[in-house]
Amino acid sequence: MHLTMNRILSSITLNRLHISPSQLFKLNFFVFLSALCFLIACVNGSIAVNLSDFLSGEISELTKIVLLEIRLPRVILAALVGASLGISGAALQGLFRNPLADPGLIGVSAGAALGATLVIVLGSKFLSGFMLGSFLLPLGAISGAMLVIMMLYLLTRGFGYQGVTYMLLVGIAVNAIAGVGIGILTFISTDSELRGLTFWTMGSFGGVTWPLLIPAILIILISVTSMMTVSRNLDLIQLGEPEAYRLGVDVKRLKYKIILSCAAAVGASVSLSGMIGFVGLVVPHLVRLFGGVNHNYLLPGSAFIGAALMITADMLSRTMIQPAELPVGLITSAIGSPFFLWLIFRIKRS
Amino acid sequence: MSIQANSIDINLNNRSILKDVSLSVEQGEILSVIGPNGAGKSTLLKSLAGDIKPSEGEISYDRKNIDEINIQERAFTRSVMSQLQAIAFDFSVKEIIEMGWVSRGESTYAKEFEDAVMEVVIKCGVKSLINRNFNTLSGGEQRRIHFARTLLQLWRPSNSDDPKYLLLDEPTANLDLTYEVKLLNIVKEAASEGAGVMLVLHDLNLAAKFSDKIALLNKGSVVKTGTPKEVLNPDILSQVYDIDIKVQEDPLFITYY
Repeated sequence: MHLTMNRILSSITLNRLHISPSQLFKLNFFVFLSALCFLIACVNGSIAVNLSDFLSGEISELTKIVLLEIRLPRVILAALVGASLGISGAALQGLFRNPLADPGLIGVSAGAALGATLVIVLGSKFLSGFMLGSFLLPLGAISGAMLVIMMLYLLTRGFGYQGVTYMLLVGIAVNAIAGVGIGILTFISTDSELRGLTFWTMGSFGGVTWPLLIPAILIILISVTSMMTVSRNLDLIQLGEPEAYRLGVDVKRLKYKIILSCAAAVGASVSLSGMIGFVGLVVPHLVRLFGGVNHNYLLPGSAFIGAALMITADMLSRTMIQPAELPVGLITSAIGSPFFLWLIFRIKRS
Repeated sequence: MSIQANSIDINLNNRSILKDVSLSVEQGEILSVIGPNGAGKSTLLKSLAGDIKPSEGEISYDRKNIDEINIQERAFTRSVMSQLQAIAFDFSVKEIIEMGWVSRGESTYAKEFEDAVMEVVIKCGVKSLINRNFNTLSGGEQRRIHFARTLLQLWRPSNSDDPKYLLLDEPTANLDLTYEVKLLNIVKEAASEGAGVMLVLHDLNLAAKFSDKIALLNKGSVVKTGTPKEVLNPDILSQVYDIDIKVQEDPLFITYY
């Protein structure tokens, strides 16, 4: 007991050593920013809510239901998905030592989407009567995500550095394969059991309910926390695996931890919101531009900026063309793809 | 106190790299390993560092088999510098050096962190570089930074007498004359303060000048171990390197062209 306490204390002090005061300040700012976005997103929408009315209890029953049963879970989901895509992007980029590793680009999200659609379609075809527990859907997605990361692990010979482009080419192939799978499944399940192809390829936060959300909250919080605990080791692995090992990093364990956590975070996210592109790519780079590349700062920073961005993107998607809704992936891709191009040019130049 | 290799064999991809090699890196001494390309020098260093497990024989740190020492404890006892790898993200020089700070578990140790970093930075003469982006440095500058990181890994408060070992694979590659000598002088100072040092060197004259002991390796076996004078013998060297090598004694000086 005493020993574990010591270990926790020392890991906290060590983390303090490897984060600068200005980075701590920036992290605080990111927390504030995401909280602000959260609040704004809660009061804005097709039914506007006056915050002071809500606090004093002077709102109609309808507004209350809209706020607590529809909008609040939706905004929480957006925040969680943004956080998990952001932090997973940062962790995968660190593990692969590749600035272009993003759960969307390298096919992890697509694998998760395929896993989720398989559970829904096969679940209703062959497991009818079997309770489609709200854990089964994220589990299918997590298995799909895990399968893709494992495949990447084999193809890159244990995440060895293979150059920037190789992994993207693999990602294109994986995305295409998963696209075919989702397409076929959508086709054979013409009824309401499977949401439309646009949901899985462009993403949406609409229609989420508390019973679906709660398992996802648990899974995402656990995996995000588990990633945070290895941030220092992600720094060290930038020196190369042999060097990290010599500095006392259990490289194998680090890999398994990141693989599992990313698969869980991305899988749980995709199962509820579909594939939302470019967040995992753009967010870590934004955070690096703001204040540095060390993972003690980068991982929490990516989680909060990811949450803030995703809440905002979702708010735009539901308010821009009322009463209709834009797929949220359309908005993130519109912002993300030019950024992606810029990034490629920057990498090519150096 | 020493790192010892006890008649180790190493096979990689069904090829024998080291055969029956015995060697010890004693505290307070500099052991240089020399030999032609492909003699197995780097492999020997890696096996002493614990990267590669020998198929026969054993490696021990202070009489304790290396397999019984967990990797964090190893990181605390020995530091290694070898071939460089490209770094994908723009870490600052200071951050790269600080990566050498191995978790000591006790938070009291952490208070000395800033002082230790500064001490090492000044010793290595890299103060003017610490706020630069590591990836914009030249190859030689990057090596000096990695060397500073290696030193920080073994930093101890002045009252500590924990054993420590430096294993350096061609530390002077890419360095100009000034820093070549400067780096080896720092290594010598570390040895005089009690560190056990193993160097893999190509330059026989540097080996002659800076080593307490030299091990000459050829085709995976130790040809001779001893003081520089004993090992740097013109007949042995000429035979191992397969060119005519002359040795002038006092001061020891080797010519081969």
